[in-house]
Amino acid sequence: MARKVCIVGGATTPFDYGATGFESIEGGAAECIKETQQDIPEFLLRDLDLMIYSHFSVHFGHQLAPEWIIHDHLGLAGVPHYRVENGGNTGGSALYAASLAIMSGKHDVVGIVGWETMDSVSQSQASEFIALASDTRYELMVGGIYPIYYAAMANKWMKENKVTEEDVAIIAAKNKNNAMDNPKAQWYRNEHKYITVDDVMNSRLIAYPIKKYDCCLMTRGIAFTIVCSEKYAKKVNPDGYVTVDGMGLSSCTIRAGDRLNYPAWKERYGPGYPEMTEFAACRNSAEQAYKMAGIDDPLKEIDFGEIHDAFSTSEAQIYKALGLADETNMAKFIRDERTSINGDIPMNPGGGLLGYGHPVGATGIMSTIECFYQLAGLIPKKHLSKKTEVKDAKCGIVNSHAGTGTSISNFILRRS
Amino acid sequence: MSQVVTMKSKKIKFAEEPTFTERKDYRPEGVKETGLAFVGHEISEDKTVMNQFLHYDQLYTIRHGWNSKFFIGLLEGKIMGTRCPNCGDTWVPVRTHCWNLDCNLQKTEWVEMPLTAKVHTWTVAGWSGRSSLKRLPIVLVYAIIGDSKVAIANELHGINPWDVEFNMPLKIVFKPKEQRIGAVTDFHFEPADGWKPSPMNPEKERIRELVEPVYEWVKTLK
Repeated sequence: MARKVCIVGGATTPFDYGATGFESIEGGAAECIKETQQDIPEFLLRDLDLMIYSHFSVHFGHQLAPEWIIHDHLGLAGVPHYRVENGGNTGGSALYAASLAIMSGKHDVVGIVGWETMDSVSQSQASEFIALASDTRYELMVGGIYPIYYAAMANKWMKENKVTEEDVAIIAAKNKNNAMDNPKAQWYRNEHKYITVDDVMNSRLIAYPIKKYDCCLMTRGIAFTIVCSEKYAKKVNPDGYVTVDGMGLSSCTIRAGDRLNYPAWKERYGPGYPEMTEFAACRNSAEQAYKMAGIDDPLKEIDFGEIHDAFSTSEAQIYKALGLADETNMAKFIRDERTSINGDIPMNPGGGLLGYGHPVGATGIMSTIECFYQLAGLIPKKHLSKKTEVKDAKCGIVNSHAGTGTSISNFILRRS
Repeated sequence: MSQVVTMKSKKIKFAEEPTFTERKDYRPEGVKETGLAFVGHEISEDKTVMNQFLHYDQLYTIRHGWNSKFFIGLLEGKIMGTRCPNCGDTWVPVRTHCWNLDCNLQKTEWVEMPLTAKVHTWTVAGWSGRSSLKRLPIVLVYAIIGDSKVAIANELHGINPWDVEFNMPLKIVFKPKEQRIGAVTDFHFEPADGWKPSPMNPEKERIRELVEPVYEWVKTLK
C-alpha cells in the first residue's frame, strides 16, 4: 500500500505584472518559505529532502536551469533537486511528481517552488512565447496564440452545449470578483474593481467568443508548498494538514485539430469523443483521481475547487469534463450559479487564473495552496474576509491544465 | 612492446544523409543577429531597484527531416499529406508514423491532397501575437482537407469575419510562387467558388459589433 501524501503549508508572493517588490526569483522563493514558516514554525529548511521546481518557460527569464539559482540561494546545496515542465500543467505535474516521491517512500518532505516572470517581455511577445508550446511548424505562424485556439474550441463547444457568451461571462465576473477578497491576487492589486456580466460582454474582442475579461492575467509570481509523509505532517501541523487522497494525470494531442479521430481516445471512450471541444485529458485524469479517492458522485462529494480557468470558457468546459454537468444541463448549471461562493460547489474562490493570475509555473501551486487554505481553515487569515471562505469545506479538487488541453492533472484534497 | 594494429572500420549508416544544394535567403534588410546585448537600464527613484534591458536575436535552423515533403510541397503549391498503408488513415498536418496503436508505428506514405477543405470550427481574432497584430482581425479556421482525419489551422480570407460558418466549403489558395517560403503561411483558405453567406442574424451582428473597433485599432498601429 502506497504511503499517504500530505500537504502542510504554502504561500505565494503577490501576483502582479511589473514592479511588485518581489522581482528576484530566489528572493521571492525565500519569502514564500518564510511566510509558510509563520504558519507552521516547526518546519525547518533542514527538513527538506527533495526540491522540485515548477517552471514553464526559460524564455521569460532568459536563463536556462534557473532553478539552480533559487536552490543554492535557499542554502539547500546537497539536497536533490530537479525541474518539472509540462506547459500550463507544470504546477500540477510538479505536485504529481512530489506525491510520487512521498508515496514511494524514497522522500519524506518535498518542497515545490513554482514561478514565472512573464512581464520580462511585452504582452504580445509573451503571448507569442507561450504559443511556442503549440506546434510552431503548423500553428504559430497563422496568427495562432492560445486564446485563438481556445476560442475556436469553445465556439463549437458552446453551440453544442447551448452555452452563451453571457453564461461564460458569469464565470469571468465570479472569479475576478472573488479575487477582490484576496490581497495577493493580481486583479485586486491592479484593476481593483468589481465587474458585471455586462462589463465582460463590453470588453474588447480577443477571439470570438472570448473577450478581454474572459481571459486570465499575464503575471509575475512565485509559489511554494510542502508535500510530505503523514508522519511529518503530524509533527509540524497536526491540526491543519491536508491529505492528497486522489490524483490523476492524462494527456491529449498538441494540436487541437488532431483529436477528432484519435484512435487511443476512440478505444477509451468510443467514437466522436473528445471531438475538438471536450477536454478528454481532464475527464480521464479526473476519473483516475476520483477512483483513487473513492469518489462516485463528484458533485455531491466535492465541496469546492481551484481549477484552471485560463479562460471563462475553459472553466465551463472543465465543469463538464469533471462530470459536474452534461450537455443537457450545462447552461442551467452555470446560470444557477452553482459554482459561486454561495453555490453548492464553489469554483475558484481564490480568484483563479482570471483573478489571482497565471504565472504558468506557479499557477498549479497557487491553486493547491488556495485549496489547502480552505481545507485548513486559513482563509480568514489569508483573504481579506470570510466572504470567500467555503463553509465547512472537507474535500476540494485542484485542476491544472496545459496546451490546448494537452496535459491535465486533477487532485482530490481532504481535510485530515 | 605492444604491436600497433590498424583496423579499417566501416561506419554504420542508418539513413541517407542529405546534401543541400538549393539555398535561398530572404532575410529582411536590417535584421541582424546581435546575440546577447544589453541595450539599456532603468533605476528606481530611491536608487534601490534596477531593471536592465537585454536584447537577444538568434538564427534558428528548423530541420524538417522526414516531414520535409510537406514544406517542399508548399513551395510547389501542393498540399502533401501522409497515409498509413495499413489502416488507410490520412493526415494533414502529416504524421510520418501511424497513430493507430494496432499499426505499431507503421511508416506512412506521401499523398497529394486536394485543394479543397471544409470548416470544422472557427474564431475571429481581435488580438494576436506580436508578428500578427497588423493582420487583425483574423478569421482562423480549423478545416479538414480532403479525407484527412485531422483538422488544420489556417486563416480564412475573402470573407467578412461575421460571415464564417461551420461546415462551409473552402478552397486552398497559395501565394504567388515567388513569395512562397515553404511555411504554412504560403497558403490560406477562401470560401469555395459559388458559396454565398447566409443572411445577417443576431450572432453575426454581435461579431460585427466586436470586430469594428479592431479595424480602427489596427489603423493606429505603426
